Amino acid sequence: MDLFLQQTVNAFALGGTYALLALGLAVVFSIMGLINFAHGELMTIAGYVLMYCGLAGLPFLLSVPLAISASMVAAVLMERIAFRPVRNSSGATMLVTSFAVAMILQVLFQNLISTRSQPVLLPQLLSDSVTIGGLVIGVNKIAAIVSTLVMLVVLDRFMKHQKTGIAMRAAAEDFGVARLMGIRANTVIAGAFALSGLLAGVAAVLWVSQRASVDPLMGFMPVLKAFIAAILGGLGSLRGAVAGGFLLGFIEIYLAAFLPHEFQEFREPIGLGIVVLVLLFRPNGLIPSAALKAIKV
Amino acid sequence: MKKFLLISTMLGAAAFSMPAAAETLRIGLATAQSGGLAGYDSPVVEGFHIAVDEINTAGGIGGNVMIELIEKDVRSDAAQTSIAAQELVDEGVSVLILPCDADPALAAIGIVSSAEIPAISTCASSPTLPMIGGEYMFANFPGDNVQATVSASWAYEQGHTSAYIVYSPDTQYTTMPLYFSEVFEKLGGTILGQDTHSIGQQDFSAIATRIAALSPQPDVIMTSSYEPDFPSMLKALRAAGVTSQVIGSDGIDSPTTFSLGDVGEGVVFTTAGHATEGSPLAAFNAKYEQITGNPSETVFNAVGYDLVKVLEAAVIAAGGSTDPKELRDAIANLENVQGATSLITYKGTDGMPVREVTLIRVKDGARELVGQPSPDASLIPAPRMQ
Repeated sequence: MDLFLQQTVNAFALGGTYALLALGLAVVFSIMGLINFAHGELMTIAGYVLMYCGLAGLPFLLSVPLAISASMVAAVLMERIAFRPVRNSSGATMLVTSFAVAMILQVLFQNLISTRSQPVLLPQLLSDSVTIGGLVIGVNKIAAIVSTLVMLVVLDRFMKHQKTGIAMRAAAEDFGVARLMGIRANTVIAGAFALSGLLAGVAAVLWVSQRASVDPLMGFMPVLKAFIAAILGGLGSLRGAVAGGFLLGFIEIYLAAFLPHEFQEFREPIGLGIVVLVLLFRPNGLIPSAALKAIKV
Repeated sequence: MKKFLLISTMLGAAAFSMPAAAETLRIGLATAQSGGLAGYDSPVVEGFHIAVDEINTAGGIGGNVMIELIEKDVRSDAAQTSIAAQELVDEGVSVLILPCDADPALAAIGIVSSAEIPAISTCASSPTLPMIGGEYMFANFPGDNVQATVSASWAYEQGHTSAYIVYSPDTQYTTMPLYFSEVFEKLGGTILGQDTHSIGQQDFSAIATRIAALSPQPDVIMTSSYEPDFPSMLKALRAAGVTSQVIGSDGIDSPTTFSLGDVGEGVVFTTAGHATEGSPLAAFNAKYEQITGNPSETVFNAVGYDLVKVLEAAVIAAGGSTDPKELRDAIANLENVQGATSLITYKGTDGMPVREVTLIRVKDGARELVGQPSPDASLIPAPRMQ
């Protein structure tokens, strides 16, 4: 039983990180219909800022906000430079643009920083663990769970009570009508990118605090997981993205924890098989986006 | 006249298709300068350049054979490796240098064996590479099975009797713990269990929790995972309260391992060398710092220097010839070539060189030499395909 609880804590921590990542993708997708595959590179940028701050001797508590702001600024710039010119193009054009942005950034990291992975100095505290009720929980796990919860609450309040947040929800439901009501498209879209940058930044701090290094291709794996989580939850739906993230985290951890040893090698295909199975029964995801209405796509 | 033209054209074509003029050794480098393997190949190629510049400044190998490099980036991709290898063969190189990992290097096998040009992987350590690659394929690193024998013997000598292994079936290299468990059991130790992970897996908490729940705890945990997996795994283990001795391999010979703080302390791993005072490696590191302005952060720089020393010795042994076939035979018969990290012998092997294995411990965020033991030959497991 203890083991089960312990693994559940692990699943919450991993699922929370996935939820933040998926939410970052979903915020932009719900408004623009763009799956931003350069989202992972925002994480890499935040990771490099953490690394340089560590080298410069800044305290970690100061590096974290700097890294998150850098990722937000990068997200807004990304929108202004790469995505605004193709805003009204087809989904395929925007998708290819996001791949191009991701590749260009990766090559820039490789050429301007290093092809090798760079160590990130982390405070010892993040590697420690505490014992709560017989469960040994790593501080970075607690940090992951707490920051996920804080982000979700803040985001929820922002979307419900702030003018920009409400405008973003309106735009997600019907961008055309929202604009007719006087909502500025540029503000809403820039806001969505800033928000996705914020989420990427927080996720990057959690991600990097586990691996202790940053490399040019670091962003690929998280964005892939986020994509799976977002599809699982229902593409375009923010609540769905959170649900998808947590479900993916639970699937991965429970399989790694309780699958018999002979099957461990096939853990990933089995995990993806479960995702496919869920989608067979709920083709629009766990919590489908309202914008889809009842149409099956 | 027509006949003369025909003959002269044929002669010209024949001369042109000869691999290289006698005074130049053309080396084709198809290595990963970007992507997942760049962290290994780029330092190797740095060391490679230092050795080549040194030789060329001194007038070439043996004073008359200059080295010419043709370099291509294979982006850590197997398909790109075989394309680059073909292009280099078409450009008439005498020797091919292939990427660090056995899997992309194996992608070039067909080209290497049909062109009959010797190929050396920069730092692949899987003993299956020359086994599958045939007589033209060579490695440039202590084999996985030899490294595992050294670390398992060390662990057993330290009084550790139980072990747990974590490996990834994704590549040949990351299955080194299977060799470890074979040797460890042969010595009399017990393997308490094993786990697999995939390369690039971010989260090791499930595995760490399972190991933490074992009673009794394993004395040793062995893995050959490398960045970014290794730091994540180690942090997860320590956070779950596992205090067992962790043993790794050459893939973690990187700055990250030494900057993990308390978590990294005490980790022991096998690698290709250690710069003791007055050693060739110390001399190389000094040279490296003088040329690049930065201290060498990994032994892979010196491994690249070794590679050129092997080629230099082969050209000299072949009497200054740059003919690929003669070079292959010369490499296969090299004995005790002094590299920057160790003496290197190919004679009597199938292409997996006999080189020194060094055990390093992370202490106070720096390297501490544990030993450079010669493994007991009867313990070394046979190469196996995973």
